[in-house]
Amino acid sequence: MSSDSPRNTDPVAAQQRFLSLFLRSEREVFRYVAALVPNVADAEDIVQQTALALWEKFDAYDPAQPFTPWACRFALNKARQWIERHQRWRALLDGDLAEELARRREELRPDLEIRLRRLEGCLDRLPKEQRSLVEGYYYHRQEIDDLASQSGRSVAAAYKSLQRIRHTLQACMEKTGEPEGSAP
Amino acid sequence: MTFPFPFPSADFDDAVAAICHGTASEEQLQGLHGALRENPAARDEYLVRVELHSRLASDPDLFALAHRETPERPRTDDQMSFPASLPPPRAVPSDWARRNWAVALTAGLVVLLAGGGWLRHRLSSDRPGATSRAVAMLNRTVNARWNPNDPPPRLGAPLEPGRLRLEAGLAQIVFYNGARVAIEGPADLRVISSSEAACVAGRLTAEVPPQARGFRVTAPRLDVTDLGTSFGLSVSDRQTELHVFEGRVDFRADREATNRSLAAGNGAIAQGNGAPLRVAANRDGFTSLFELQAKSVAADALRYDQWRRANERLGRDPSLWVHFDFEHGGPSDWRLSNTGALRTAVPDATIVGCQWQEGRWATKPALEFQGISDRVRLSVPGAADALTLAAWVRVQGLDRQINSLFMSDGFAPGTVHWVIRDDGVLGLTVIGPKGAHQILASPPVLTVDQLGLWTHLAVVLDGRSGQAVHYVNGQPISQHPVRISPPFRIGTAELGNWNSVGFPGNDPFLIRNFSGAMDEFQLFGRALGEAEIRALYSDGRPQSELPTHTEH
Repeated sequence: MSSDSPRNTDPVAAQQRFLSLFLRSEREVFRYVAALVPNVADAEDIVQQTALALWEKFDAYDPAQPFTPWACRFALNKARQWIERHQRWRALLDGDLAEELARRREELRPDLEIRLRRLEGCLDRLPKEQRSLVEGYYYHRQEIDDLASQSGRSVAAAYKSLQRIRHTLQACMEKTGEPEGSAP
Repeated sequence: MTFPFPFPSADFDDAVAAICHGTASEEQLQGLHGALRENPAARDEYLVRVELHSRLASDPDLFALAHRETPERPRTDDQMSFPASLPPPRAVPSDWARRNWAVALTAGLVVLLAGGGWLRHRLSSDRPGATSRAVAMLNRTVNARWNPNDPPPRLGAPLEPGRLRLEAGLAQIVFYNGARVAIEGPADLRVISSSEAACVAGRLTAEVPPQARGFRVTAPRLDVTDLGTSFGLSVSDRQTELHVFEGRVDFRADREATNRSLAAGNGAIAQGNGAPLRVAANRDGFTSLFELQAKSVAADALRYDQWRRANERLGRDPSLWVHFDFEHGGPSDWRLSNTGALRTAVPDATIVGCQWQEGRWATKPALEFQGISDRVRLSVPGAADALTLAAWVRVQGLDRQINSLFMSDGFAPGTVHWVIRDDGVLGLTVIGPKGAHQILASPPVLTVDQLGLWTHLAVVLDGRSGQAVHYVNGQPISQHPVRISPPFRIGTAELGNWNSVGFPGNDPFLIRNFSGAMDEFQLFGRALGEAEIRALYSDGRPQSELPTHTEH
């Protein structure tokens, strides 16, 4: 239990500080992991393991440094371990491809952020049915089987729709110079 | 398929989608690997697509406009393609909390504990925590006559999603996102969520403050999304009229794929299947509704003012150790300021998680506790022979066996735990020396129909007289002899949660986070009398009198 930890004199305050820092970085860490292991459930598992590792090493954290990059280093390790344990995934991310993707993502991030700022507006422009599917899948985290049967589709068709919707959103985000909410 | 997948190609597209969905085959993983290894452009494209996917999965704010504060927004069949997709109440908060929950577990972040006294003393009833689905409140009526076939809605009581059929008279409904809708009978309004209504027939006006932006009203032939304004809607068999009086609304006519925007002073009339006709906004049909809305806003402002003036008087009471009026909160605030007498020793409390939202009055801030990590931490020095705790809360659900209002950390002697049990019992646990404790439990008082309503709760622990009293809305509910001797103290404590301070165990049943909103908290270092508690209630109650039936 943490109260046995020699790492500091006030474990409660340390926990509180950790929780506060981690919760603020959590989404960022998740996205970092998802660049390597995009499936949401798998990425969340890796983030949880990362949280545990971070807490174990919290006494080594230098508060003068930003927390998120420190956390992402742990996350990369945990993702690597996860890939090691999942045979199939080694087919995708063997060698140094994981590191290369993580590095390149950092370079692209300023540009990605600019595009993603348009995402909310683009979501609002989706036709109702598409909006409802994307919300069900990403926001309500409904099972794909349920989403499919509710809309009278096959599971494969529901996945295909999600793929198309993301394609639409990506195209919408890439359109530049169009003022938000301008009349169609 | 060819290996590696060419880029761009349909195989590449499908493989990226499949790994996002977690359905990729061995071939897809290999084919994608080759493409990513050989082609920098493929890597960039992969990163963009995956980033979009992970952002959708990790940023609930993206969907916030439609779900400003009720992520469990129920849907109507006529507007959504997944009519059966009603998630259980609170499904989303728990989804989003689940990961934090696991984090709390792994990190030993002690929202958890085994062996606390409460569990052993629980009533044997196993019923699940009652959760209110209330999304709005019936705020006032004028000569209202409701359809006799429906259960008559009660003034001041929360409204769950459902139908309101007003045969005659006027009624105002305040949605929990802050939108006020006035209807004039005959009218048929369906309350759908805290940010959405459907007007089947009749006349209504909606006033939508900025925090309720995105409020939707669907009607035959027209759907309206309000962008922070006031508008009127009139629905008859033949046509639907929309009049925008302030600000701007978006509307979408049936059979039109896109929204149109309508600015103040403009209106639209939709008939049959044709495109809506543009007209000038006309207030004439809405006069009585405007009067009702204006009266309601004025009454609110008056109540809010009265409460502030009462607080100025209270500010001179040296025994008011801690007073959070939640008045200066904003989305970026991590601190609550203490305006009580101990403001030097207890300057601020720290907000962890939580969301700012509307309090007892439309412009008053409140803090909403929802996730398992949400809490406000503070540390109060000193001890006293008596303590009084008081808070204005809107309980959204009793999801936990024990729902924390205000709990000292751990089980230190002399400290207190103020909680609501899942059966609606108010509890004050007083911790004694050597693990002794006493549980002062009221009868079940927070019943389901009270959930979703702003409620004043107080408890007085008087070590001198050896008595403790629980209060609800200024009324004493139960009195208990106190066996544990003073002095009593707080130490480090949390509003809306509990830090068990290293007690071993990780029993999830002992998660004690509060589900609801709070917009005032007071801690006195003395026992307040019955009249004083009644005054706290009457100075702060949201409306002048309930029921607020107003005659013409």
